[in-house]
Amino acid sequence: MKTKLIAALVSTLALTGCGTSNNAGASATPTEATTVTVYAASSLTKTFTELGKEFEAENPGTKVVFSFGASSTLAEQITAGAPTDVFASASKKSMDAVAAEIPESKVFASNRVVVGYPVAKALIAITDLNSGTIKWIQCDHQVPCGAAADAALKAEGITGVPISLEPDVKSVATKLKAGEVDAAIIYITDVIAAGSEFAALEFSDQAKATTKYPIGVSIKASSAAQRFVDFVLSPSGQKVLSAAGFGGAK
Amino acid sequence: MTHKRQSVSPVLTAIAVAGLLVVLLPLLALLTRVPWQNLFTELSSESYLNALKVSVTSSLLAASIALVLGVPLAWYLARGPKRVTRIVRPVVISPLVMPPTVAGLALLTLMGRNGLIGKLIYEQTNWAMPFTWTAVVFAGVFVGMPFLVLVVESAFRQVPVEVEETAQTLGANPNKVFWRISVPLARGGITSGLVLAWARALGEFGATLTFAGSMPGVTRTLPMEVYNAFEVDPQAAYSISALLVLVAITVVYLLKSKLIQAFAG
Repeated sequence: MKTKLIAALVSTLALTGCGTSNNAGASATPTEATTVTVYAASSLTKTFTELGKEFEAENPGTKVVFSFGASSTLAEQITAGAPTDVFASASKKSMDAVAAEIPESKVFASNRVVVGYPVAKALIAITDLNSGTIKWIQCDHQVPCGAAADAALKAEGITGVPISLEPDVKSVATKLKAGEVDAAIIYITDVIAAGSEFAALEFSDQAKATTKYPIGVSIKASSAAQRFVDFVLSPSGQKVLSAAGFGGAK
Repeated sequence: MTHKRQSVSPVLTAIAVAGLLVVLLPLLALLTRVPWQNLFTELSSESYLNALKVSVTSSLLAASIALVLGVPLAWYLARGPKRVTRIVRPVVISPLVMPPTVAGLALLTLMGRNGLIGKLIYEQTNWAMPFTWTAVVFAGVFVGMPFLVLVVESAFRQVPVEVEETAQTLGANPNKVFWRISVPLARGGITSGLVLAWARALGEFGATLTFAGSMPGVTRTLPMEVYNAFEVDPQAAYSISALLVLVAITVVYLLKSKLIQAFAG
């Protein structure tokens, strides 16, 4: 009898324990009007967390909660009814996907993908990615950083293949920082954030490597949400973004 | 093993029904989205077949390794000295209740390029386990074996010690007793454990993604394909999910109707 019970319990565990969402931060429910729920691209994790703190300091009583992830994943969640007040996407494509919830948006920053590598590895040229001995990773094709990587690599004539297509840029950055890969197609902001042990090679076609970040407010959001967007677009907000390596709103 | 019929409280029944619905409704909802008429087309795409290949091969090998290593381990836990097994058992079983991403990090810190063992291997051979098919298998063994050990230990405990002792007094050495008495008597449990370990390895997502990455045809398994396809091609995601639900139900059904009986009875 006891074994039967154990087996039943175990089989239940076996079949439920398999899936796990790797979203950073749980999706928060807006408890009151003064909570702003911001869905933001993975690459904004550090910068937006900082902006959130500054915004809260300037607006006592207003709380900003974040859910960071691949813009394509977040867009999917917003379409499925996730309680979002503000969406900051790493591409126009993902913002367009939520046009029903967020009809209007403004570009607040730009970023560009580069080939990030540990200084100790001394990558010489981007064409090293073709060698096969250099193990490199990038974001998956539908994620903005992956789409930009695909375009930039193609323009560069790279035919080598990565060893992994990661679900978001944070996952790429983590594996580069852990020293598990020789190089990664990653945003310049991530290379800067990774510190002096990492360096970047720029793609020759800067336009292809660049992605623009739109931000928009949900039709259901409160006025506090618009205030947060205004803050991101304000000179003090832009200062934080440019310090992290982001390009300006233009 | 028949029980007396007992009256069931209506309150308990209501709660039980609610509990059932929590599990049943999401599965039914999923099934409503499955494009049944295009199922075959969806399930013949290259990305699906690649993921199927990776999943099937890696999970079968993972289950086999779990069997080879796990059965002797389970036997030791069932028959070994209590002061040792008391400490060893929780360690062996812990991946069962560990968040998969933590499991992935643990594997990375052991076998990664900068890992405890991985660093030595990388320096000697320039080869590292992360991002390889081997990493998918390793992750499968790590998360799957605890299930096998738990069930098989329990099966070994059901084998009467007297039978083993009698065999020994009749001249069989401990090795022979294990292979000719203990294992055959516990075979139902061993089969159940094997199936559970396989199902767990098949379903693993977090540890695999953290440790092995996600590369079509190499390390991208069916659960990762579902996650990925949901953004690109939801129809495909629903189709693969339907298949995995079917596998899950089949496994439970087999365990219930045959395998559990075999080792409980």
